[in-house]
This record gives sequence, C-alpha cells and structure tokens, in this order.
Amino acid sequence: MTLVPVTYKGGIHQHDIVISLIEDLGGYIVQKHMIAQEVVLQAFVPREDIDLIARISKPLFGEISESPLVGTEIAVVSMSLEIHHLPHPSCDFAEYARRIGAKTNMVSPARGPGKRISTINDEERDVINEHDIAVYAFGNFETCIKHKWPAMHRGVDVPIVVMGGPDKETLERIIDPPADGYVGNVGRFMRRTKEADELSKLDEIVAEVTRVLEKKRQQIAKDPLSIQPARLMEVVREQVPAILDVTSPTPLTVQMAGLRVKLPYDTFAEPIRQIDLGDGIHLKDLAEVVPSRMRDYILVKILPFSETNTVI
Amino acid sequence: MQAVEYFEVECKEPAGAAAYKQIANDVLLDHNLLKVIYKLHIFIDPEVPIFVAVAKLNRVTSLIRVGDFADINPQEGKMTLVIANETYLAPMLKIFWERFGKDHVEQPDRFTVVLYDVKATPKEIEEIVVADPSEPLGKDLIYAFRLIAPEGFRLRQEIHTRTTMSFVASEDPLPEDVDKLVKEKFALMEETP
Repeated sequence: MTLVPVTYKGGIHQHDIVISLIEDLGGYIVQKHMIAQEVVLQAFVPREDIDLIARISKPLFGEISESPLVGTEIAVVSMSLEIHHLPHPSCDFAEYARRIGAKTNMVSPARGPGKRISTINDEERDVINEHDIAVYAFGNFETCIKHKWPAMHRGVDVPIVVMGGPDKETLERIIDPPADGYVGNVGRFMRRTKEADELSKLDEIVAEVTRVLEKKRQQIAKDPLSIQPARLMEVVREQVPAILDVTSPTPLTVQMAGLRVKLPYDTFAEPIRQIDLGDGIHLKDLAEVVPSRMRDYILVKILPFSETNTVI
Repeated sequence: MQAVEYFEVECKEPAGAAAYKQIANDVLLDHNLLKVIYKLHIFIDPEVPIFVAVAKLNRVTSLIRVGDFADINPQEGKMTLVIANETYLAPMLKIFWERFGKDHVEQPDRFTVVLYDVKATPKEIEEIVVADPSEPLGKDLIYAFRLIAPEGFRLRQEIHTRTTMSFVASEDPLPEDVDKLVKEKFALMEETP
C-alpha cells in the first residue's frame, strides 16, 4: 500500500464522513483547516483508494487532488526580515506553498544581506538543516549571488533550491558548488505577485521544489523508514495527550523523515521516547529524539529500516 | 500630474538594471513620490559595490493655507470654519491655539471649528499658512531610496536640497571621489548638483 499526499476541499457539512473514511482506509490526516463553511484536509491516503474517496465525497461537493508538498517542511531562507525582502517575494512563495499543503517556515540569517558581509551562523545553519528542503531567496545581481553563495550554504546538508534575479542558465553557471534546483528571474521585487505571469513563476518554484523533493523521496524509498511520520503523528497524539493543549497551528509537524513535536524537550522527551508501538517496541528503538534548535521543541528523527531491522 | 522626464538605471548587468528599475518605480509609486521627481538616474555597480541615485526634483511651491481646505462663515461675535479635508486640521488648531488662545477656539465636531471674539478678519484667517508640504519631502525621498538600495549597503551619504537629491550607498567605506561620481551622474541628466 503506497500512501500519497492529497488535499481534500469540501463543505463543512458531513465532512466527518470523509475523515472517518480516510482513517478506515488506512490513511492519515496531517492537517485540518476549517475556514468558514469550508474544510481543507491535508492527508496521506492509499493511492488505489483516491477514486473511492472522490466518489463518496462527490455528493458533499468535495474535491480531492494530489499535492506532493503535503507532509513536507520547507525553510524559506530570506536574506533578511526587513521590508526590502518581505513581504515580497519571500512571503509570497511561503504563503503559496502553504496553500498547497507544505509547512513553510521563514528563516533569515542575522547577517544575510550584502555581498562581502553576508554569512550564516551555526544556529541558523542547524535550523535550516531541520527542514526537508531550503529555498534560498537571493537578490538581483549575479555578482553578489556568486560571491555570497559559498558562505550562505556552508554546512547546510538539506537540498537547496536557489531562486534569484538572473535567468536559470546564469544561476547554474555562477552557483558553485552546485545547488539542487534553480529558479531564475525571481529576485528581489517590491510588489505583490498577483498577475498571471507572476503566479506562474510561483508555480515554477513549486514545480522545482517538488522535483527536488521527489528525488529525496525516492532515496528514502530505497531504505524505508521504520515508521511512517504520519502514523507516528497519530500515535503521539494518542499517547501524549499534552499535545492536544498546544495552541500552535501545527503542534505536530510532519516531515519526510521525521516529526517536529512542539512540546518542551526537558519535560516531554522521555515520555516520547517511551511511546509504546506494540510488540514491546518503543519509539526510542526506531527513532532519535533530539532537542530542536527551534525554541525548545522536540525533533524526532526516524531511523531507516537498515539501522533498526524493524518496520511498523 | 507632471510625469518623470528622465528615468534611467545604469548597471553592467542588464537583468539587474531592469529589476531595479521596477523596484524604484514600485517604491516611489507606493510612497506617492513619483510626482516629486523630475529626473532620476540610478547607477549600480555590484562589483565595487556601490549604489548611486541622483534626482532633480519638481519645485513644490504651494504652501497650504487655511483657505485651501476650510470655508469660513463669519457670524456675530464668532466665525465658523467648515473643514473639507482633515489632513491639516491638527497643525491648524495648534496655530489657532497659539495665536488666539484655547478659550477662543472650539471644535464641536470633526469637521467644524468655531472661533470666538478673535481680532482678525476672515480674509486674514484664510491666509494663515498651515503647512509647507516640501519640508518633509527630502526625508521621505531618502527613506524611499533606503528601501530601493540593496539592503547590505549600509554606509550611506544622503544629500537633499529643495531642488536636488543625491544618495550614495555601499557596504564598504565610500570612496573619496564620491562627489565626482555624483557630479558625473548629474551631468548625464544634463543637470548640476
């Protein structure tokens, strides 16, 4: 059974039918948004059951579509949080990716802007490394991008998609060592992306991010995880009820190979390590529970089958 | 509204020049400053790196007087001012208080001000200068150019007069011949700083 990431949009009326259907089919709900009369579900469902869900939700005016960014956490690395770079274009992309299912976080180095003076420190690097992918929003000048790239990506080991003002070919030429993906003609600009050509540019970024993530997904599939992150989320929700009182929009953030638990590390790391997964297996056997550099959250890194010899 | 007569961005990288032309246009438009600018030349060399913006400004001569935004109805022992535009209400009240005293000025509602027993003719009151719109202009322009210039360029030289403005920024100490550079850029617009 392969689980695929999907987005379901439909009316609030009887939407619990769809939720129980997904759960009965062995799928997992990652996020649920209620916006006025509408419900948006981000979920993992078995590929062969998508048609069934579509058929059952049709009388409820529900629509289901595949959205490859569900269950991923993306770091949008903006060169600063000043008005020069925000809200356009960094927030525009972050918001766009969020709408199609990704969880995006804005990361901004304290000394990001500039050519010679830009750099990142260890905390920023570690925060970026806690994500599935980083999208770097660079400026308009190839001279500056070329100059600052070596400093900005030092120590970052997650895939990086670079977006910048010069065209894609130029970016590919000047970025050395190479990044994993490139999107050209999106540098710094100070207007909202609302025209058709600007929106298609955002789609281009999403396509590039999806392509890079797909590669990572294939790599993970070669050595499968000991437990699916979405499934682990369900288990944490059942066995650590304190998570239900957390008011963050996503108290449990699903990543491609892990889970961010937004509870204080000192108090909750041990209960999470001791989570019972049946047959005498505890979570500590299948995953590393480490402190996150983001606030005092907990990061659960799921180990692959080759290290644990167990798949749940 | 007077259009911008000359607007060029000079840069070795054509893509960067086009992007900065768009940024400058968007920022000046957002801050409602396009009407102030008569000629504008921006020079960027990311290799040095340096950012230079020189501008010739439109002359904004009109002073704002009470008569521009208020109608005065003289009555027995008092004058009622009906305010059409609230923008300059606060500075106007301040001037009235200083000149006539708070006892003689009353504001029954947002759009009405009543003056009691003042020793001035309605004509004189109409002529009172409330604000000079060109005064904060220089500051606004410099602020806008701080947004337009690349953010890392934090060492700046900003000069503005009533008719011209020059803005030089870099992330390294500015070169000593920066005045010469500014003059050169003004010459490209056929102007003098």
